[in-house]
Order: sequence, then structure tokens, then C-alpha cells
Amino acid sequence: MSRLEAKKPSLCNSEPLTSELVRGTLSVLKGIVVSCYGPAGRLKQLHSGLGGCVCTTSQSSALLRNLSVSHPILKVLTTSVQNHVSCFSDCGLFTAILCCNLIENVQRTGLTPSIVIKLNNYLLSLCTNYLKSDTCGCRLPVDLSSTHIFLCLVHSVLTSKPACMLSKKEIDHISALILKAFLLTIPESTEDHVILGKTIIVPLKGQRVIDSTVLPGLLIEMPEVQLRRLLPVQKSSTLKVALFCVSLSGDFSDCGEGTVIVSSQVSLENAVLDQLLNLGRQLVSDHVDLVLCQKVIHPSFKQFLSAHHIIAIDRVGVTLMEPLSKVTGTTPIGSLGSICPTSYGSVKDLCPARFGSKSFFHLIPNEATVCSLLLCNRNDTAWEELKLTCQTALHVLQFTIKEPWVLLGGGCTETHLAAYIRHRVHNGTEDIVRGGECSQTELRLLAEAFCRALESVATSLEHDGGEILTDMKHGHFWSAPAHPPSVLNWPELLSRCGCGLHNSQEELSWSVLRSTCHPFAPQTCLPQAPVGSASNLTVDCWTAKLSGLRVAVETANLILDLSFVIEDRN
Amino acid sequence: MAAPGSVTVALQVAEVLETIVSRCVGPEGRQVLCTKPTGEVLLSRDGGLLLEALHLEHPIARMIVACVSSHLKKTGDGAKTFIIFLCHLLRGLHAIREKEKESFTSENIHTHAWHWKNSCQWKYIAQALLMFQTQILDGIVDQYLSRHFLSIFSSPANERTLCRNSLELLLEAYFCGRVGRNNHKFISQLMCDYFFKCMTCKSGVEAFELVDNCFVELNVGVTGLPVSDSRIVDGLVLHRDFSIYCPADGDIRMVIVTESIQPLFSASKSEFILNSEAQFQTSQFWIMEKTKTVMKHLHSQNVKLLLSSVKQPDLVIYCAGLSGISVVECVSAEEISLIHRIAGLSPCALPQVSSQCDICSTALVKFCKPLVLRSKRYVHLGLISTYTFIPHCMILCGPVLGLVQQHESALHGAFKMLRQLFTDLDLNYVIQTKDQNDTSSPLIYKNSRENIPLPEIDKYQDIIVKKKDKLEKTQNCLKVYSNSVSSDIDLETEIPCSISKVTPTDTFQTDETLKCSSPPKIWKINDHELLIENNSTENPITENTRAEISYENVQITDTARRGHMLLARSKLLTTHASQDHCSSTMPAGCVLPVGGNFEILLHYYLLNFAKRCPQSEETVVSVLIANALLGIPRILCKPKKGIHSFPLLYLRSLQALQTTQPMISGQAGLESVAAKYQLLTSVFQCLTKILTIDLIISIRRQPQKTGNEDSEEEF
Repeated sequence: MSRLEAKKPSLCNSEPLTSELVRGTLSVLKGIVVSCYGPAGRLKQLHSGLGGCVCTTSQSSALLRNLSVSHPILKVLTTSVQNHVSCFSDCGLFTAILCCNLIENVQRTGLTPSIVIKLNNYLLSLCTNYLKSDTCGCRLPVDLSSTHIFLCLVHSVLTSKPACMLSKKEIDHISALILKAFLLTIPESTEDHVILGKTIIVPLKGQRVIDSTVLPGLLIEMPEVQLRRLLPVQKSSTLKVALFCVSLSGDFSDCGEGTVIVSSQVSLENAVLDQLLNLGRQLVSDHVDLVLCQKVIHPSFKQFLSAHHIIAIDRVGVTLMEPLSKVTGTTPIGSLGSICPTSYGSVKDLCPARFGSKSFFHLIPNEATVCSLLLCNRNDTAWEELKLTCQTALHVLQFTIKEPWVLLGGGCTETHLAAYIRHRVHNGTEDIVRGGECSQTELRLLAEAFCRALESVATSLEHDGGEILTDMKHGHFWSAPAHPPSVLNWPELLSRCGCGLHNSQEELSWSVLRSTCHPFAPQTCLPQAPVGSASNLTVDCWTAKLSGLRVAVETANLILDLSFVIEDRN
Repeated sequence: MAAPGSVTVALQVAEVLETIVSRCVGPEGRQVLCTKPTGEVLLSRDGGLLLEALHLEHPIARMIVACVSSHLKKTGDGAKTFIIFLCHLLRGLHAIREKEKESFTSENIHTHAWHWKNSCQWKYIAQALLMFQTQILDGIVDQYLSRHFLSIFSSPANERTLCRNSLELLLEAYFCGRVGRNNHKFISQLMCDYFFKCMTCKSGVEAFELVDNCFVELNVGVTGLPVSDSRIVDGLVLHRDFSIYCPADGDIRMVIVTESIQPLFSASKSEFILNSEAQFQTSQFWIMEKTKTVMKHLHSQNVKLLLSSVKQPDLVIYCAGLSGISVVECVSAEEISLIHRIAGLSPCALPQVSSQCDICSTALVKFCKPLVLRSKRYVHLGLISTYTFIPHCMILCGPVLGLVQQHESALHGAFKMLRQLFTDLDLNYVIQTKDQNDTSSPLIYKNSRENIPLPEIDKYQDIIVKKKDKLEKTQNCLKVYSNSVSSDIDLETEIPCSISKVTPTDTFQTDETLKCSSPPKIWKINDHELLIENNSTENPITENTRAEISYENVQITDTARRGHMLLARSKLLTTHASQDHCSSTMPAGCVLPVGGNFEILLHYYLLNFAKRCPQSEETVVSVLIANALLGIPRILCKPKKGIHSFPLLYLRSLQALQTTQPMISGQAGLESVAAKYQLLTSVFQCLTKILTIDLIISIRRQPQKTGNEDSEEEF
């Protein structure tokens, strides 16, 4: 009996954004995400007083997952960012910071929400159209025939996650591995519809990062004793594989809804075992070399198989089933009766492999798009962070191959975009003004707030009190060290811009980002020469960043549009 | 604990609700964030949801919320307007009372007796209000307001072709009030596209019903993507993944099963006795072979897709894979019923599958493939429709789940609204002529159904009802009538419905229907003669229909005051119903421009009516309603400045009406008149409920499972 209780009335707050409490919590959240952003971002240690492991991170996915936010408005913001991250893996902090900045800046303008939302949408459409257009000055096309941009992309992802605790050399090593793993998942045969394979990350904690490696095929972990016992087979040709998804333990679970009465002299176990042995005989006659089972194999059946030199591996688990059937080309068998010969698959070879303290059974495929990335790191926390980072990098590579563009990273896209919007709004009348939906002043006021929000995302990359500048030609991001000696002039003090495309010797003029600068037209067409030559570019995933931008503006609009918060206190 | 229920209390409650609701109403309205006890966050501009989320404690507030939600169940829209209108009506009533109180102050009786007297008076007003609604309001809508109606259909009523432009206007206006400002244009476009993709020219109201009932199955929510990534896909998306997927093209046939294909070891309620091990093995073998044969048979019938409402054993999946049949397991009952409604495919019985005969219950699909949305896999099915609805699915994206849900419920509401718009609305009313000579004020039933040319209507005015009987006798007649009906076969079809909820007025109408469909006869009832002359027996709609019914004192207003009046809306069949029955129809698809046009028009005509009306209480009621109606456009126009501000808009409209010029609306957008009209009636009913309560008594009892909404009791 459920007990019905009278419900407590809800709490209703009007105009939530005007309250000090909400503003305060918003700025706390903003402080947290801003301090995590970028390669120089500060790490956060998350731990629960109740125990469990301590998590050291600077990634939005790990951070927001563990952060419990109290206020519903913050909940909207964080879930929105989390949902974005679960779709795109990357640009979570960018989205969160931009959203917070927008809310803060727009509130300062004092415009009514209806006009703000209209204009925000308008400015967003300007941004997305520009980022999608061919004249975009912060978008690089990706040359699919070379790995250069891909390597830069992975490199940028790895450098932006300081909690992985990687040295320069380790970053190079891991980025090469990630790229290799990614390339292994691309099928060789080119059909019209390319389906990418899968990279399985195998944990190997306590080893040096340098020991990480990529192997084609699958690794199944098992104790060494068992492994030694399993491997008497030496065969030159490919091995025939049968993959079972039913239990081979001889249990009899599904007997229907009625009653089954078993006479005392009948032994069901024997009957089932007989059945299994019949199956075994068929496997032997079909020359199967390897039997894999998702569930448990009966010990006697195992015995029988090994007597006939068939390797049997059980308890593979449901997660490995799909990659296994892909690697071996088998159809998972769901029957204890006769097996159709088309269900068998094959592997090129199998061998024992030892990495660190763990031993594995390595299935080497003939031709498959599954590979294993053995990932090492010194401790658990750093490993978790590295794993997330690798997943992000692999995901980002998949997006980039689908839509072959990258955006300039290191804050350059943000400053460039801000310069573009500012220039656009100040020179020439926009359609929205012509339509009479708002005045030119309102547009300029809000565009300024919008651009400032974008620029402060870029500014968040600097954590050491340095000066942030932008050049008046390309609109890129330049960071100067803190407390510069006064005698030096800018070209000597600055070396390269944020993304690494331009250096300070190009006769540029700079202005401090925080100051009110005169709107200028950023150069839109990218020079072709430096793209190929510049060795170390910082680039961001185009798809993820574009979506992050849209989600940030949409979420900010949503929050600005709130007029009541009704809290159910039951 | 008992507190007097009064207008003052109700007004206080309604005013609080109004302040909340008025900020979310109209195109300038804003969002509300609701949290649930589970921690979920919901965004909403839906008035009904908002009121529910407040978990109000005050009994009157709870009653109002209950009224709103019952209104929403019917129409799916108008909760916010409901509250605003109700609040203005209460305010009007309050003002009337304050005025009366001033005249009473000299007596200075604030005793209990005074309270009772007071509440009797409220009840009296409530009944007058109800009377007004049932008998006069419909007439005003039909006679005056209807000339301003526009139709959403571009061609005359029979054809019903819908033009995209007007639907866009209608939907845009609807979504303005339901979803956030940055998305309403996009969502209304999406809905419009969906509408034109799914509906054929033949699809009628049934198609709306289908969408309304199966809305959950017809859309997929995806979080983490911007709203603008929402789209419409052809066919049906099942919220499942393939258990096994075998790519197939060409002729794909599909079957649905509702039980396991693999024969069970022992059927339910039976015993299986195992005597030997061999027996066990043979039966296992038989099961396997049987399953394989079924699959082979399905394969031979060109079946490539198997939908199952239950989980199938591994063996079935394996065999299906070998035969190249894709399997989807655990398809929900709702999805199966949707497929049944669209493609006419019903689940096939297993014996039929097992036997070697042809399987009749298969359906052809255009394609069947996996669909990946944000790393979750779905089954995408290209169903071929045998129905007027062409299946399409909406994929709704949004950064947070709350927003996706908001859009989902708004779209659902839009279909409810369209469903209502596409059905006719019956209007019933009584018109009282201003015949100064006749003191008994004869009732004249007027009919203005469209298929009857106007001159005829005048003829009906001959039907003068003389009232000589006493009221008690009317009730005698009532009994007699019901008896006579049961004996008369001709009338069986239409009358029983009105008999059940009969009122004196209704009896009257029944009587007259009786007359027109039966050959000329003289009825003798209770020694009173009903003289019916009907010259043309062929055509019930005759020129000279005259009836003299002898009654006395069937003053309907009187009976209503005595509390005999029930709410009854008789629906009579079209052909002859019309004649004398005072009913009319608001044809499907009636719309008016948005922005308070309906309210201002009705306001104007109500005031006109009040001027002409000699009876004081009707005047009071119509002025009260007329003034309360203005509250809605006033709130809608609040943020506007200049020529769009409320006073100017009002003046302009009045001028236009007086000089019979067309009204100019400041906004593009249309709204359904039927929805507005239903809103008015719902509000009147709610108000009557409030007014008839005189005492609120709080009781100490755990809320019961059934009626936990209302803990107040009425004395």
C-alpha cells in the first residue's frame, strides 16, 4: 500500500536572475570553469568525504558530472553543457564559459529579454554563417591525404588537458598512437558508405606512458596460468572461430510456463551434457580451432574441446561481443543444435601477449577495423583523465573526417570572430534593423556584449596574469608574459599568436584586448603558404565548436528568458 | 475550521495566480523553470503544467486548477487566458458587491445571517450567469460575431483545402504562447512541414486523432544538440535497436508476433513428464527444428523483418540471422497499435506461421535500417500507409531535456488544437423577442443553419408558444413525452439522447422535432391539445409549419432560478433537426486574427446587447462579461507602445465596428474561435462552481486515492 501524503506547496521565485544569490552562484560556477580552461588551466581535485577515489581533473565532463549544483538555473546550464559533451566530447568548457559570460554581459546592458533573445539569435546566425562560409578567416580546410592537421588536432586536444600529466615527449607519443588507432579503424575497401570501426581502450595502470601501444585486433585479458594451458596449437593457416552467445554451461533455464516432472532415474545434466558433446563433435568435424563464449562453458565440455586441440575461452562478456564478431567475421551462435557453416569466422593468428603485469590473449584479424589501444599511465586518476582525453581525441577525429575543416585554436577563433561581428555591426545596416525589429543602438549595445563574451573566453586561456592582445590585421590572439620589461616593444615580446599561424615579425599592430578598440575588418582569406609549413598549429574541432557556440547561445537565451522558478520541495 | 467561501477570497487567490500567469502569456511571455522532486528540471510556458507544479494548498485555488486541467484535457490550450479571464470576472463581481455594500452599510449586519443571505445572492448570480451562457451567448456569437469569422480553409466548406499560409499564421500564433521566443518560429515551421507531409487531402479528423493518441511514438527526443537540428524523417522510428540486423533491399515484408517463436518446453497449465534422457533430447531437438522451419517458412514468404513484442530466445535470433531476417524485440504495445493503425498490419498468430500456408498478415515496408541519434540506435522503418495518414517522425533536439519536453508537449497541444478546429461546434440558444404587447413573452426558436435560406427563418417565428400550463404540468408532459417516444419508432434515433438529460426547455425542443418528422397528427397529452399542421409531408422543412402548443408559464428563466435547469446540449441530426431546434453550427475552421480581436468583438456585441436588453440582471451579467473580456487584450498589449498600445487599439476597433469597417489587426496570426468559445464556457462553469460554495470546511483526513483534489465540502 502506498501512502498518499499531502504535497507541500512549491516555492515560486520571480525574476530569478535579479537575485543576488543566483548571481553569486553563477559567478562561482564561472570561476570554476574559467580556471580549468586551456593548457595552463588549474586542476580541480574532487573528492567525497564518504570515501572513494579522488579525482583530479580539468575536463568539463568529469568536473560537471561530479559537481552537484543546487540551483535549478545552474542545473540547466550544467546539464546543457554535459549533454553537449556527451554528443561531441570536446568544447565543454568553451560552451560553459561562453554561456556564463553571455548571461553576465547581457544583464549588464539592461535590455529587455525579448529584444536580447532576438538579437542574440541574430548574432549567432551571423557567426554560424561566417564559420560555414568559404571566406571564413579562422577555418582551415583539412587535407585528407596528409596527417599533418590531424596530428595537430590530437596534439591540441592532449595539450589542453593538463590533468593527464604528460610531458612533451609523451604527448607526441600518445598523439601518434591515437592517430594510428584512428587510421586502423578506417576500412580498406572503399564503398559508398564508410562505417568506421572501433578502438578499444585497454587499461594498463602503473606503467610508463611511453609504454602505451596500439595493436590491431583484440586483446582478451586472462591469467597467465590459463593462458599457458591454452596455447598448444601451432598452425600456419588462419584459425577457424566459433562465437557463442548462448550459455554452454549445460543449464536448463527456459522450460516454459508449465510444470516439468522429471522421473527419478532421469539425469537432466547428463542429457544436456550429451547434447553439448554432440555439439563438440560437430565443432571438431568442422575443424574449428577457437571457441569463444559470452557466458560460461561447462568444465567437461571445456575438457573435451581441449582434448581435441580446440581453444575455448569463456566469460567474454557482452561488451566484447560486437567487436569480437567484427574482428572474426562470425555470427554469434544462439543454438546448441546444428551450426550453420556460414556462422564461423576466422582470425589470422592468435598469440599470448604480456604487457606489464597483465597477460592477454591477442586475436590478430585478417582484415578488420577493430584495434586495441593499450593505455598506460602512472596512477588511476591520471589514467582516467588520459582515457577520457583519448576518447575525446578519437571522437574529434571522426567528426573531422566527416566535415573536413578545423578552426584555429588557442583563442584565435574567438578574437577573430569577435572582430568580425564588431566590424559587421558597425559598418552597414543589418537586415534586422532595417526590418524595424530593433534600433541600431540596441544592436550595437548587444553586439558589444556578445563580442566581449567571446573575447573573455579567449582571455580565460591566460591564468598567469599576462597581458592579452589582439592584432589589428588578422584579429588573432596574442599573449604576453606578465610584468614585461618596459624597454621591449611588442614584436620582441610576443613570439607567435595563439594558434601558431602568425609570428610577431609580420609588421602587425596590436591592441590590448580589454581596452575599447576601434572596430576593424579582420583579414578573411587565409594565406596559403604558412598553413602547410607551420609545424605546430593549435586547432579545434569545427563541428564540436560550432555546436558548442550554438548550444551556449541557446542556453543563455533560455536562462535569460526565465521569469519564474518554481521549486517543488517534496 | 471553516471559512466562508466568497468572491473576495476567490479573487485574492485568482489575483495571485494571475500575476504569475500573466508574465507567461502571449508573444511577449517568458519561460518558467520548474523543478521536480526527482531533481529533473522542466521548462515550460504551459499554463496548466505551471499551475500543477505550484502544488497549491488553498482549496479554492485547487478547485480552479482542477477546472483548468479539465478544460485542458478537452482543448489543450488556454490555461493562462482561463486564469486571467476568471480573475477579471471575479474582480467585476467584487466591484458590484462593494457597490451594494455601500448601500447596505447603514444596516450594519455582519452576522452569520447576513453571510447566508449573501451567499444566496451569489448563487443567484451564478445561475444567471449560467443562463446567460446557455441561452444568450451562443446567439450573440452566432448572429453578430460570426460575420467577422475567417476560415482557415481556402475553398468552401465542403472541399476543405487548407492553404499553407493560413496554417502557418495559425501555428505561429499558437506557438508564440507555448514555446520560448527564440524557437517559436522554427517549431511552427517544423509543425507545418510535418502537417503537410503527413496529411493527405483526404485525411480528416481521424488523422488528428491518430497523431494525438500516438504522439509519443511519433517523435524522438535528442538532447545535447541545438534546437535547430530538429528535423522530420520519413517513416516510423521505433525506440528500439535491432537484435539482429540483416541489410536488405527491394521487397521487404514485415510480420509482427506477440509471443515467442520458439515452442516452449511446456505450455502453461500443463505438465510435461520426462521419463528418459532420450525423450528430453528429442524434444529439445524438435524445438530446434520447429524454430528453424518457422524461420525458413518466413524466409520463403519473403519476410525480412520480424517485430516482436516480447523477448525472443537466442535460438530464434540466430535462426533469423541465418535466414536473413532482421529482428526487433520488445516493441511496445503502443508502437504495435500504431503500426496496426497506419499499415493495417495486425500481429500474426503463431499457428498460422508454423503451418505451411501463406501468411496473410504481412506488410510491405520501403526500407528498414538502423538510425543513430547521439550514439543511441533506433530502428527506422519506412512504413507504407494504407490510411490517410502518411507516417513521418519528428526528431526533436535541444540542449536540455526540459526544452525537448516543452517542445514535445507544445506540438502535442497544437495537434489537439487543430483536431478541435477541424470539427464543427454546435451552438444552442434561445432568442427572446422584444414583443411589448405580449406579457408572457413568447419564446421564439430561431434557426440559422447554413443550408436553410434566410427567408425561411422568418417563418419559424410563427411558431409561437403560448404558455398556459403551470410548471408542474410541464413536468407531467415531460413524462408523457418520454413515454410517447418509446412508442414512436420514427423518432427513436434522435430523441433518447435528449431525454436522458431532459430539462423543460429540452422537452420543448423534443416536442418540436417530433412534430416536424411525423405526419400531421393530433397529440393528446394530459387533456391539452397539440395542434400540428403540416402541409407537406415529404419535406419536413415546410413553409407553413405552425404549432400551437398549449402551455402556460414555461418561463425558462424562472425554472432555471429554481434550480431545475441542467446543462444540456442536445445534438440533433442534421436533416430535420434544424427546423425548430434552436441550434446552429460554427463550421470547422473558423478563425480570427490574434491579439484580442475575439475579446474586443465580443465585448462590443455584449455591450450592444446590454443596451437593448430591458431585463436588468441580464444587462448586469453581459456588462460584467464584456468588461472582463477586455482584460485579456489589455495584458497582451501591455509591453507595446504607440499605436499598438491597448487604449488606441480599443478605440480603433470600436470605431471600425461602429462604422462597419473591417477591423485592422496589428499582428499577423490567427486563432481558433472554437477554442476561445470553449474557454469562455469553461470559465463560466468554474465561476459558477466558485460562487455556489458558501463555506469551506477543512477536514482532518488523509487524502483518499480517488478524490485527493478536493477536500472542501459543500453545505
